[in-house]
Amino acid sequence: MAATDTPTPITRPQRWDQPFGLDMTDADVARLLAQPEIAAIRVDRFPDRLPLREILRNDARLVRFQPGSLIVREGDYGNSAFLILSGKVRVVLPPGLPREMLGRHEVRQKGWWRSLAQLCKNRRVPEVRASEPSDATGLFRKGEGDTEHRVFLQDVPAILDHHKTAVLESGALFGELAALGRVPRTATMFAETDTELLEIRWQGLREIRRFDEGWRRMIDERYRANALQAHLRATPLFAGLDESTLTLLAQQTLFETYGAFDWHVSYQQLQGAEAVEHEPIIAAEGNHPDGLLLVRAGFARVSVKLGHGRRTLTYLGAGDQFGLEELYDAWCAGQPRLLETTLSAVGYVDVLRVPTDALEKSAFPKMSAPPRRLAAAADRPLAQDAMLEWLVDERFINGTRAMLIDLDRCTRCDDCVRACASTHDGNPRFIRHGKTFDHWMVANACMHCADPVCMIGCPTGAIHRSEAGGTVVINDQTCIGCSTCANSCPYDNIVMVGIRDVRGNAVIDPRDQKPILKATKCDLCSGQLGGPACVRACPHDALQRVDFRDLTVFGNE
Amino acid sequence: MKTPKATGRNFTFLPALLLGTFVAFLIPWLWSRRNFLQLGDPALVTGWWLFAVMLLLGAFNARKKLSMLPLGNASTWLAWHVAGGFLTLALFWLHTGALWPTGLYERVLTVLFYALSLSGIVGWIMQRVYPRQLSDSGVEVIYERLSAEIADLRERAEALVLDCTRETGSDTLARHYLETLHWFFRQPRFFTNHALFGGKKARAWHRQQCGAVRLYLSEAERRFLNLLTLLAERKTEVDFHYAAQTLMKRWLLLHMPLAAIVLLLVVWHILLVHLYAL
Repeated sequence: MAATDTPTPITRPQRWDQPFGLDMTDADVARLLAQPEIAAIRVDRFPDRLPLREILRNDARLVRFQPGSLIVREGDYGNSAFLILSGKVRVVLPPGLPREMLGRHEVRQKGWWRSLAQLCKNRRVPEVRASEPSDATGLFRKGEGDTEHRVFLQDVPAILDHHKTAVLESGALFGELAALGRVPRTATMFAETDTELLEIRWQGLREIRRFDEGWRRMIDERYRANALQAHLRATPLFAGLDESTLTLLAQQTLFETYGAFDWHVSYQQLQGAEAVEHEPIIAAEGNHPDGLLLVRAGFARVSVKLGHGRRTLTYLGAGDQFGLEELYDAWCAGQPRLLETTLSAVGYVDVLRVPTDALEKSAFPKMSAPPRRLAAAADRPLAQDAMLEWLVDERFINGTRAMLIDLDRCTRCDDCVRACASTHDGNPRFIRHGKTFDHWMVANACMHCADPVCMIGCPTGAIHRSEAGGTVVINDQTCIGCSTCANSCPYDNIVMVGIRDVRGNAVIDPRDQKPILKATKCDLCSGQLGGPACVRACPHDALQRVDFRDLTVFGNE
Repeated sequence: MKTPKATGRNFTFLPALLLGTFVAFLIPWLWSRRNFLQLGDPALVTGWWLFAVMLLLGAFNARKKLSMLPLGNASTWLAWHVAGGFLTLALFWLHTGALWPTGLYERVLTVLFYALSLSGIVGWIMQRVYPRQLSDSGVEVIYERLSAEIADLRERAEALVLDCTRETGSDTLARHYLETLHWFFRQPRFFTNHALFGGKKARAWHRQQCGAVRLYLSEAERRFLNLLTLLAERKTEVDFHYAAQTLMKRWLLLHMPLAAIVLLLVVWHILLVHLYAL
């Protein structure tokens, strides 16, 4: 049907159209405001458009956990923090719980006979599962009210006997660093007693930290105490600095976040030049640098103004820095220098700002001149950087094992698709189709992202990074088919499939007659001999799995 | 960042490939010369050698079915398959001692063997030539979606023509569409021209048809014609994809049955030889 020019009127979407918890009542909010940790917050510091009461109503929810119920798992990605309102929560200290106990599964590599047996085991209909998920794990059951899916620990007393744990009680806040920093949870937490928690999503936590000095200090100090110094020590730039200098730098470092945590939404809406225009600016070309920026998580684009647009020179990821050349030159020359490039957030970026004063006093005298990385970049012909521009615009820089197909070689024979199907229940885990640039195609196959948006919000932790190699895999037995991961994947690389029983019949939920779904995606042939079957099956060497953070995959600088 | 170069194709084993193929020919050739000088029958050895190489060529298909096993990269197998294919030709001539043997059965076998070799060479050339042309077309459509893509283009073309008639009140473009372009948009066209000459005739044809009506159109109608021309250009690229992808998929439907028939006939030939000729 041809499109018409008549606009369709709708109410402009608002921030809190979709509250975090659907059942927060006025009484709940009033009770929360009386909670000591929240009562201490200065409500007058919040602007009228973002009152604390509304933040609590819309960006937080009350959750209850039964004894033994896992709250967060080590290694999971999450977008919320928790405040304990009542009950006891146990933190499992290193070395942590075995992965099987957390509902993970370790993929064991098949032997020759088991690999060969797949030929006979593959059924005529795809996606056959031999058993129901709950039968297989024994871990998996529905939580209170039959609405939440949770993983339960089987024998809490034994866990307390055999593992080191610590107790968190009413008033304790946890999970805020993973929520704000987009890094994996560092410890497993479970409810020891009946526990009520206030779960605050990252947007609400960000506002509270922004407007309340007490919470900001608390969160920042905890980060400073737990992770910052280690992060600075791991930064190659500060490798030569002694411990006292690092402590000094850590004390003065500021924390900043840019962009949206759920950036996949804006990514799907905005593309190309429009997306560049909407990227939040972290540091602008022509401005004075007021500190060295260290990227802690996410990606940022380094660009210069060119004509009526912006030209991408490079991009930065976790561990990279911005502004050092200008700051060092200014310190050497004794005169201020302006930034030559702009740094903007590609999606969500978490940065540390090390103030100029601290650097000049503590770091620069002990450092040698930094290498000039961008000096020659702006002189390169435009066409040379077109590929880089495309990779950044499409956010493919997130991929660590993306499927790159050289279309100049690909004969479209689909041997790769058939090889994938034969090793994955008769159903391929990717589509030989995707965005193209020149003669390159990034196919719709899981890229095993550096910033795996799909892992945020999985209610059972079924989607996780494997211990070996960091591949993002799905535990089929704990996947409840909620589609959270498939909806979150910005690249549409996760597919929900209906499963079948051994007779080939569709498996349905008897209560609502709807099919039981499972999330499926490329698992890089974990457990198969010889690595990804798709790569080995290509007769023309057209298909590769590449890490786009390493541009040498193209034989380039 | 430099423009990416073609990556991945591994030619490190090329010397081994060439040497292996050469040796695989040299051994039976030397043997047959020695045997011939000793008044023996070299055909027996060269025949068995040829049969062994043919079986190895057929094993490539088995490798494709066993993708779950670490049997080496398919690209390496293909390289050996191509080299082995040329080797069988040489061994075949060594075995028969002529391009065209005597005897009806042997001639049938020879015709099929040549057809098999030719289909292999043509397929190999197609696989080297078409992919680059397909990526240069700027269009990328999965084979199974080509018919849907053509249907979509046809619907868009028809909607354009209807809009033109509705907005301008003139049916000149609509009449011309029904008389000529409708045929073009209905299904894949110019298959042979696309397959052999890259579709130059198809481009010339739609340019001619769009140009023929331009004289009789108003400014408003020409805007619609320009959009229609763009759709026709895309249709031409889609038609090229259809032709090239069809050939790249279907040549195997000739090559593989031929291979199976030749292997069966060879087995029968060996049985006959051992039963009656020795």
